[in-house]
Amino acid sequence: MPNTQRYVKTGGIGFAVGAFFLWNYPNLGIGAALLGGLVIAALCLLYSAPLPDMIKAGLIAGMFGAVMTIVYGTDKPGVAIIAGMLSGLGAGLLVFQRSPQANPKKAAILGAEAGAIAGAWTALALLLTAFVIAPAAGVDAGEFAEHLSETVIFADALGLGSDILILLFAFAFSTLSAAILGAAACAARSLPLRPNIPLLAVIALPVLLIPLIDRAGNLLLLDALIPIYIFILLALGLNIVVGYAGLLDLGYAAFFAIGAYTTAMLSSPHLGINLSFWLVIWVAAAVAAIAGLTLGAPTLPLRGDYLAIVTLGFGEIVPILFRSLGGGPPSGTLTLRFFGMPIGIEQVDLTGGNKGINPISPPHLPFIGDFEPSNKIPWYYLLIVIMGLAIFFINRLRDSRQGRAWMAMREDELAADAMGINVVRTKLLAFSMGAMFSGFGGAFYGAFIGAIFPSSFDFSVSIILLCMVILGGLGNMTGVIIGGLLIQGADKMFIPKGAELFRDIANERASATGSSTVGVSALQDLTQQRLLLFGIVLVVMMLVRPEGLLPNERRKAELHPDDDTINSNSVAAEAESDPSLAA
Amino acid sequence: MLQLQNVHTYYGNIHALKGISLEINQGEIVTLIGSNGAGKSTTLRTISGITPPRTGQVLFEGKPLNSVPAHKIVSQGISQSPEGRRIFANLTVRENLEMGAFTRNNKSEIASDMDRVFELFPRLKERVAQRGGTLSGGEQQMLAIGRALMSRPRLLLLDEPSMGLAPVLVDLIFEIIQNINSQGTTILVVEQNALMALGIAHRAYVLQTGAIVKAGDAATLREDEDVQKAYLGME
Repeated sequence: MPNTQRYVKTGGIGFAVGAFFLWNYPNLGIGAALLGGLVIAALCLLYSAPLPDMIKAGLIAGMFGAVMTIVYGTDKPGVAIIAGMLSGLGAGLLVFQRSPQANPKKAAILGAEAGAIAGAWTALALLLTAFVIAPAAGVDAGEFAEHLSETVIFADALGLGSDILILLFAFAFSTLSAAILGAAACAARSLPLRPNIPLLAVIALPVLLIPLIDRAGNLLLLDALIPIYIFILLALGLNIVVGYAGLLDLGYAAFFAIGAYTTAMLSSPHLGINLSFWLVIWVAAAVAAIAGLTLGAPTLPLRGDYLAIVTLGFGEIVPILFRSLGGGPPSGTLTLRFFGMPIGIEQVDLTGGNKGINPISPPHLPFIGDFEPSNKIPWYYLLIVIMGLAIFFINRLRDSRQGRAWMAMREDELAADAMGINVVRTKLLAFSMGAMFSGFGGAFYGAFIGAIFPSSFDFSVSIILLCMVILGGLGNMTGVIIGGLLIQGADKMFIPKGAELFRDIANERASATGSSTVGVSALQDLTQQRLLLFGIVLVVMMLVRPEGLLPNERRKAELHPDDDTINSNSVAAEAESDPSLAA
Repeated sequence: MLQLQNVHTYYGNIHALKGISLEINQGEIVTLIGSNGAGKSTTLRTISGITPPRTGQVLFEGKPLNSVPAHKIVSQGISQSPEGRRIFANLTVRENLEMGAFTRNNKSEIASDMDRVFELFPRLKERVAQRGGTLSGGEQQMLAIGRALMSRPRLLLLDEPSMGLAPVLVDLIFEIIQNINSQGTTILVVEQNALMALGIAHRAYVLQTGAIVKAGDAATLREDEDVQKAYLGME
């Protein structure tokens, strides 16, 4: 019985999560942990139950909105509005993915339903936060009301004096915007356009509105969102190398480092060269692309595991190089012997060694002036422009001759050669194109953070990027973006904020019961367990859905060969009945 | 059209082709027969530039091919259906064929060539949206030949087109090879199934451990006693 199996599996996952929390937060009380476990188990069961697609899509997308609202809601209830919009958009796209519609009108109705369900989840999470979680975390009603009126936008403009009214307004706004965005997204996807401009507009709307809502409600979401977007940009570049060309690169962070260090060296007082960011970002991309070629050239004959090892080594060498190219004793002469002749080279502190380079000059634009570290909005829009261009360019690249050459090479290098494809060029181009996008990412990162350190470009960065690509769906850009949002979202938003919330609740309980154990131990801190959580998610994903969340069609076919059994049987039968084989 | 003059090819230290000379004229079907390891596939790899010769000359329409890299051979007018077919298993039949026309740009010409391939192999047309890996062995062979035709070659190299196929399919494939030839494509076919190959070829070369031991009319070689004993299984 496949259905029973699904119930057992999903129920098991829910139970495991509940047990994890129970073990992790003993001072939350068994009741709370059991309740959490039961809720998650119920959600898992609901998901595996034979429900209409719109309910499932609304459920899945709404979950993210709900989690976002819960982790942020206690001190920033206004987040519910952004969470509602995003979950509605997600629900609309998801419901179309599950049951495609040809008729835009029907699609709009379906999307509205899914969006409303997702929005309702988010809104319910807001109510839950207001009446259960915020009090549990030690935020009293008056304090919460203050948060509410501060962070819920339009509340003042509408003259909503009472807290209940504001709460209801946020509730309605979240659900309504989710339904509208869901309907718009689903309807836009049903249009047979290529490129689908309405769809892009629907997706762009919340993405472009976020900074304004963020500022109006003082939500400070951009601090987390910008690094998330940078990582997505990097993952898109890595997807060219791994997803399109099939070259496993375990040292991709090296190119990120090269982009960032190029920017830091050329655009800071450190070396006295202070070029404009607008020039340096191109230089950084070009330097990274050349670095891609220098990695690609010696690894041309390597494939698969061997290539992975070499790229791994490259990824280790680059940060070490940056660490050792500076930071030594100030001024001194390094003497090299060249065929016995001593040559004195004045030692220059190129990279600042372990201390890194600090500060890096921000971009400057007329009217806006220097981009300030305190005002994230120009940074956000600049990054959106860079990402938009990158997505457009990569999309075109994939559909071009070059993209087809990558596909052929990934499938079978020798056959590609026989088709007249220059495999050497194709491979080098994959490496340099992939590196180029991480050069852009690195340049922006350097300028945004305003300082760089060799430790920011560890092996773990390469691995996290690879996880984003694989989790989302190798070779599928939308999948990679979603994978990036999930992993980076968890890393930079959900886990740290969730840990804060849990700590507050635990503290509150401790003080209420007069217990001496205050807070949570380091072992119980969710942020300390993020790698454990990623590990579990990856293991489960690879077992359950190895092709990723939104797979590339071809990858899916590779990983699920069962669908082809009828035909491969006929091949075997044909070979058996063939006497010429024996001859 | 194609001439090999005293070609020596090595795999590292292994001397695979020991001074091969052969000639293919415009419009012919020429076959290379021989047992396993005789150097048949190596000869094709030498022509297509995958394993270039160490010494000797490969001339195509009078121009030397020795130093032309493999990927440029296709645009010179030679294409091959490689050993083991090597179709792109995860690409559809149509995409496989499009990949065969990679070096070309004229879309309407490519489309008309695809129609021609579908005329030759109606089975492929039925399976146009199916993934290459899901085709049967015979269909995969058809696809490999069709894909090689998509570059509009003047010389078509076929490596073991009968490999792993049922006898009835072998007949069909060889019939189609003759058909392609009659439409004006010169063909060099490497085969273990010597009887079939000699049946359709105009001329033949017999390879043994890297050297040509016999050459001549296909019909004459078919009657040759040594050939009959060694390759046709007749006493």
